[in-house]
Amino acid sequence: MGVRRRVGVATVAALTAMGMLGACSKDTEADSAPASAGQITLVVDSFGDFGYTALAKEYEASHPGVKVQLRSVQKLDDYKPRLTQWLAAGSGAGDVVALEEGILNEFKTQPQNFVNLMDQGAGELEGNFLPWKWELGKTAEGQLIGLGTDVGGLAVCYRKDLFAKAGLPTNRDEVSKLWPTWDEFIATGKKFQAAKTGAKGFVDSVTTSFSALLFQNGETNFYDKDGQLVADSNPTVKASWDTVMQMVDEDITAKLQTWSKDWEAGFKTGSFAVTMCPSWMLGIIKTNSGPANAGKWDVAAVPGGGGNWGGSWLTVPTQSKHPKEAYELAKFLTSPQGQVGAFKEAGPLPSSPQALDDPAFLALKNDYFSNAPVGAIFGTGAKALQPVVLGPKHQAVKERAFEPAMQAVEQGKLTPEQAWAQAQRDATKEAKL
Amino acid sequence: MRLWRTSPATYLALVVGIALSVFPIYWMFVVATRSNDVVNDLPPPLLPGGELGANVERVFANEHAAFAYGLVNSLVVASVVTFAVVIFSTLAGFAFAKLRFRGSNALLLLVIGTMMVPVQLGLIPLYMLMVRLGWNGELKAVVGPSLVCGFGVFMIRQYAVQAVSDELVEAARVDGCSTFRIYLSVVLPALRPAIAVLALLTFMQSWNDFLWPYAVLDADTPTVQLSLSLLATAYYTDYAQVFAATALATVPLLVVFVVFGRQIIGGIMEGAVKS
Amino acid sequence: MTIDSMPAVRTGEPPAPSGSPAPVRPERPTWRTRLTRADMRYSPYLFVAPFFVVFAIFGVFPLVYTGWVSLHDWHLIGDHTFVGLANYVELFADPDFWNAVANTFGIFLIATIPQLLVALMIANLLNRALRARTMFRMGVLVPTVTSVAAVGVVFGQLFARDVGLVNYLLTSIGIERIDWQADRLSSWIAIATMVDWRWTGYNALILLGAMQAIPRDLYDAASVDGAKPWQQFWRITVPLLRPTLVFVVIVATIGGLQLFTEPVIFGFGRMQGGTLGQFQTITMYMYENAFQRFQYGYGSAIAWTLFAMVVVISLLNVAVVRRMVRGAR
Repeated sequence: MGVRRRVGVATVAALTAMGMLGACSKDTEADSAPASAGQITLVVDSFGDFGYTALAKEYEASHPGVKVQLRSVQKLDDYKPRLTQWLAAGSGAGDVVALEEGILNEFKTQPQNFVNLMDQGAGELEGNFLPWKWELGKTAEGQLIGLGTDVGGLAVCYRKDLFAKAGLPTNRDEVSKLWPTWDEFIATGKKFQAAKTGAKGFVDSVTTSFSALLFQNGETNFYDKDGQLVADSNPTVKASWDTVMQMVDEDITAKLQTWSKDWEAGFKTGSFAVTMCPSWMLGIIKTNSGPANAGKWDVAAVPGGGGNWGGSWLTVPTQSKHPKEAYELAKFLTSPQGQVGAFKEAGPLPSSPQALDDPAFLALKNDYFSNAPVGAIFGTGAKALQPVVLGPKHQAVKERAFEPAMQAVEQGKLTPEQAWAQAQRDATKEAKL
Repeated sequence: MRLWRTSPATYLALVVGIALSVFPIYWMFVVATRSNDVVNDLPPPLLPGGELGANVERVFANEHAAFAYGLVNSLVVASVVTFAVVIFSTLAGFAFAKLRFRGSNALLLLVIGTMMVPVQLGLIPLYMLMVRLGWNGELKAVVGPSLVCGFGVFMIRQYAVQAVSDELVEAARVDGCSTFRIYLSVVLPALRPAIAVLALLTFMQSWNDFLWPYAVLDADTPTVQLSLSLLATAYYTDYAQVFAATALATVPLLVVFVVFGRQIIGGIMEGAVKS
Repeated sequence: MTIDSMPAVRTGEPPAPSGSPAPVRPERPTWRTRLTRADMRYSPYLFVAPFFVVFAIFGVFPLVYTGWVSLHDWHLIGDHTFVGLANYVELFADPDFWNAVANTFGIFLIATIPQLLVALMIANLLNRALRARTMFRMGVLVPTVTSVAAVGVVFGQLFARDVGLVNYLLTSIGIERIDWQADRLSSWIAIATMVDWRWTGYNALILLGAMQAIPRDLYDAASVDGAKPWQQFWRITVPLLRPTLVFVVIVATIGGLQLFTEPVIFGFGRMQGGTLGQFQTITMYMYENAFQRFQYGYGSAIAWTLFAMVVVISLLNVAVVRRMVRGAR
């Protein structure tokens, strides 16, 4: 009867483990309950590294009675569903919650989940933020639900060695002068492709170019100012679409999907010479390219002016028990000095003009990217942007209707006309509230 | 005991199959011993490098991920779940296979039905339930729902139908054994290989579960999979670090396999004894 | 229906305790016989009770709640209004849903049939007197242990268009490289490969566990009668495995129709399943609606429809397996 003895042993093990269950779980009560008079804990939810460790300590020191707990999940893909679950269940979210631009736009359609920061007196803070960043934190009805943290100002990252092979200039100022407009960018691409450098395409994909174009071409995109879907009639959308279709037609792309294996590997193998890069992308390019390619990349201006990809806001969910204190904390973290502090700790590109003018920021260079003065390049780009009105489901329409349609054309599965029709159909579906 | 003769062709087939099975995990160990950027190399690196120590150090140095704590928590969760599932499944599986009672077929269908519910949508109501119970953030919130294992009940039931001898059950009854006594001294021994398989699969599943622990636990009470997800950086993955951690997280599973694997072999040896 | 097929199993008649043959005896029952009778009458319920108690606590509420949500126009983090069966009506006319259904069944078919046949063969091989048996068994199960992250990276490397190992091999023997994601069939094959890689060993192990309960003397007797190994396999092993085969088929059906992880990994974590939805499965479509479009009511309707489909297909599969295995006897 070996089994019975073994079962006995297992019982002991299980009981011991049961005992540990209690021991191992964190004592939530002790953390959040006001143990001593007036002591409160504010939980900050974010993803990745917002650079708030030192700032939290500083805030605790200057606000006795307040404890700041930073909770962070590293991957944005993991962050969003859990946040949604907290909001859906009405419990679990932190007092200050970071929202990335894609999430923010969708959550703006349900503003009742977030404290209107205008009610807390946030109106006075407008001058602390780039105008377009400030506007994006507001809902269609004018409620302010988010204070800007960082932005994802766009630049172009390019491979100097491939440019040299194709007989193109390699100096970053001369490269920027190659493409004041998208037509000239496409012409450069054709020249590059004709030189047969061994690269698959001039630029990695069409989707990021499409994002930049949308931002540059007009003050509205898929939605008009009243929040109506106008993806089929807005000339901004059509013009941007036509430009990227021309890029496909002239065969200057490597036909890669951003974040795919081929795309990641393409940085190392040199399957494209140019990619649209927001500031936060520099680390990704460095990792994907590897130490062997150090000094081959450089940073130049985006065709047609600036653009933005990514960036976040801090919000206060209505389920927070301490909305007033949470707002004060969010205000501190997004203030110009807070943004400089975060930048020094983790490097996100500030959304505050004062922070962008900070000498520490302006002096920033990146040695992997041939010592490019990235602080000045990205800061100038971010400050030049004009506000754009993005509709409630902007991100969904762009990423889940238009981008697959464009990629289907690149794959040769659809003609541009069929793809346009599919994008419109899917846009209607995505825009449904 | 002579079974069928095993030809060299059989060995060859098995070796090829095993090589295909093992390659990704081998490759994971290779990346764990190298620097981060080799993941994108073509052809991929096939031999281990010398960075394992550094990568492992980085894993344990990552305070945010609390990797060691995650290992301990997962060990606790997976052990409790495995033990309870084996008990529940053998009890119910035996009853469904060998005992007569009113409504048994309907109940069995209900058990099977519980396996067919898509898990993704249950997350929100289950989370609401845990909030109501005050369990969110605690390990018991992960253990509780894992105990609903229709898979185990059904598996043991199907196995017991054939493996538990009716004659032995009847004989024990005639000897005046209670049903529970029969369960302990006739049924459990006969079910040993199946219990080993079930324990192994349950432990693995519990160990590798991410979706629900992630939904209900906090970063300060992580399971090992939660710790793993906390290692990746915001927009890109530090593969060397992640794979070093994943490799470490796989070691306990391999140990468990050896332990339960013995039981499965034990089953073979005793197979001849059965009626 | 009854799941089982073994003659030894009873259907739900009124409880007739198997130990005591007789109807009521004339003498007054002693406390002992009364205890025995109570034991036989009630202990089955006690035995199944733990499972159902746990299920009642953690399983029923999510199931019922999801059903309730499916009758509403329910924004995940917003308002909800009761709409009756409108979500289901809309779903049955939704071409994207039927596209997902077709994909799910397509991948299910090309993944599951070879998977179960190979699992049966592997289990049979592992059931022999092998050298290094533990090593082989461990090897078979390794894919189940491997973390999803590693699977994603490795298969990403295998099926990448430009830098993939499979395309590297194809081009080296003169075949055009394949854009695995772009086409319906190629994406299905790639996903089916991942599925089979991960789950064949798992099923093999379950079957192996059951094979070991088959008494050796049956094989010995067959050998004496001159039956070849393959005849023994089909005439003894497979028929006696029938309950476990039924189990494995049901589990594979449930897993196959709820296919999620592999196609999501294959599509770089996106729920759309390719540019034209060529490999979007039902569960991905459900997730996309509930958690990305925030149409929780619609997503719940998909979940319940999927649940119903799994039930029906499982029943059909069981019928087919029973017929096939009986035919083999």
